[in-house]
Amino acid sequence: MFHDQSMFQDYELPRLTALAPNLIGASFFLMKLLPARFVLDQAERYGHLKPGGRICETTSGTFGLALAMLSVARGYKLTLVSDNAIDLILQQRLRDVGTQLEIVEAAPGKGGIQRARLDRLHKIMADCPGTFCPRQYENPDNPSAYAAVAEQISERVGEIDCIIGTVGSGGSMSGLSRILRMVNPDLNVIGIDTPASFVFGQPDGARALRGLGNSLMPANVDHCQFDRVHWVTAPEAYQATRELHRNHALFQGGTSGAAYLVARWWAAQNPKSNAVVIFPDEGNRYTSTIYNDTYLQSLEGWSDRLPQSPIQVDDPRAEMPVWSCFDWNRQSINDVLLEKEYAHE
Amino acid sequence: MVLEQIVGIEQRTQSKRVIAFHNSPKPQHKMGMGTAFGHHGETIQGAARFDNNVTERFLVTLPCSELSAQANFIPSRDLQGEVVVSSCKTKSKQAAEATLRYLNRSSFGGHLELTSNIEEGFGLGSSTTDVVASIRAVGDTFDTTLRPEIIARLAVDAEMASDAIMFDGSCVLFAQRRGDVLSYLGSALPAVHVLSVNTAADQPINTLATPPARYSDWELQCFRALNGMLRRAIRMSDPNLLGRVATASAKISQHYLPKPAFADILSIASAHGACGVQVAHSGTVVGLLFDAHCARSATNMAGATKDLETIGMAPDFGFCTQLEGLKDVS
Repeated sequence: MFHDQSMFQDYELPRLTALAPNLIGASFFLMKLLPARFVLDQAERYGHLKPGGRICETTSGTFGLALAMLSVARGYKLTLVSDNAIDLILQQRLRDVGTQLEIVEAAPGKGGIQRARLDRLHKIMADCPGTFCPRQYENPDNPSAYAAVAEQISERVGEIDCIIGTVGSGGSMSGLSRILRMVNPDLNVIGIDTPASFVFGQPDGARALRGLGNSLMPANVDHCQFDRVHWVTAPEAYQATRELHRNHALFQGGTSGAAYLVARWWAAQNPKSNAVVIFPDEGNRYTSTIYNDTYLQSLEGWSDRLPQSPIQVDDPRAEMPVWSCFDWNRQSINDVLLEKEYAHE
Repeated sequence: MVLEQIVGIEQRTQSKRVIAFHNSPKPQHKMGMGTAFGHHGETIQGAARFDNNVTERFLVTLPCSELSAQANFIPSRDLQGEVVVSSCKTKSKQAAEATLRYLNRSSFGGHLELTSNIEEGFGLGSSTTDVVASIRAVGDTFDTTLRPEIIARLAVDAEMASDAIMFDGSCVLFAQRRGDVLSYLGSALPAVHVLSVNTAADQPINTLATPPARYSDWELQCFRALNGMLRRAIRMSDPNLLGRVATASAKISQHYLPKPAFADILSIASAHGACGVQVAHSGTVVGLLFDAHCARSATNMAGATKDLETIGMAPDFGFCTQLEGLKDVS
């Protein structure tokens, strides 16, 4: 009998493609399926989620889509709290598979839209006792889930020198780094963020690039894993996404472009080392944006030129109009920011 | 593994032989002989949740041809189903009796003699080696070569938990508490020289009284990566990957049964170009692993030996994972 108790087993793991002699791209269909599945497995195991129960989470991205797919397959009721940033096609897909979508608007006062979403989530949790909340930003099962990818890389590639990927919830990169370092003690870890994301110390602000970065600080980001951090702007990420498609025929989303930009540069700089770069989702959701030239040319600050290398900054809080990087040196965020505070005194 | 299927095959081959016996004059059953290798702990021992969501404990044994046991079984019709052992080897006695039952030969009993060069209490598999040699000796009396999968079941029934030495040199991911193969990994481990250090020669351990490690959910996940790399190490016969996996497993084991001077041994291994270290996860020995096909390994091992002596951890012996046949233990 075909055994697929986890559901979507064959959709969970990335497909590996050689992009250069020393660079392997790991392209996911929908990366968040993996943590979503594992978080639900653990919730079922420990009795936090009963058969036919309700799941509620706040998300405007692909973690919600992954939960929606699993809820259909496993027979759960799903409520997602989101805001107007969620694109219409995703909304339609979610409603199609029976997800109850709660779109909230920012209430006047402190906390903005994130606060408003959390308030709604807490209200739903209070109104429906027994509802399970996956809490992807804090749940330790999110990083643990990526052991499956570490297993795949270790079996297919063997030893690796570097892992490169974008950081949003912190699950994929923090989990992969910790696990891969057990068998690759000298592993170099490169995280990618975007300007105006709070995750690696930028002052929080409006961000055009979605799918990485955060306005809050997710507990799942283990800053001490990162050797170096890059910040990639939206136009650069879009341009690199198209180059990934042009050069390698990999049709991936915008975060994959940001990762590709950094990985290609790193692999050229370190020809004797080998690296794996994570591409989190496919390009279908971006046909009218990243893959649409008219749309790209209408963007403010759009340029056809892509920088060949990053600007090295000495403070992660610096203004970053273009692709920038900072030697993080496996420090905690407090250590990095405190050091900068003292340097300015 | 479907035991019934294997049992079926064994019994079919056996019944043919019985017919042959009936045609000949009344047979005199010979003394049976069995041998088994010992081991030097494990390359990996842990637990993981597999695709069917079941948590399994497993290990991959590191066989050692320097260590072995030999069993002689003298059958007797006077001892119906009972096996008499010279020493206090109760598990070997139980295993031999279970083997008689398995072979439908409980009208026989017999005397079991065991010889072994394996010291107890250091995680070298002294008990399983005796048990496996005993099972093989009983089988040999009745001209039956038992398959390793069957020996594994009989051994675990006698011992509660057993190592995978009945598979000799070939590599299996072995569920040591069920006696079951989780996967067949390959015909041999990569060729490595092992320098054996007993970190607590004066403090043997009662391995069966050692409680099984209670791995955290995080560790259960980590073992997936170790297993992935182990499969590659065996498929590519890559001693460096094997060393990485063994070292990672040894480090996890430090949380449950810490070896004295482990950190020092690890840095000596690293300073002298070892592929890694492995441990007996329910014992006291640590092995430093060196690439057997690397010309510099002899020099590296000499250097490591000198440094180990300085910290009072002189290696007791060395061996290679490529088994070259059993040595005489008499």
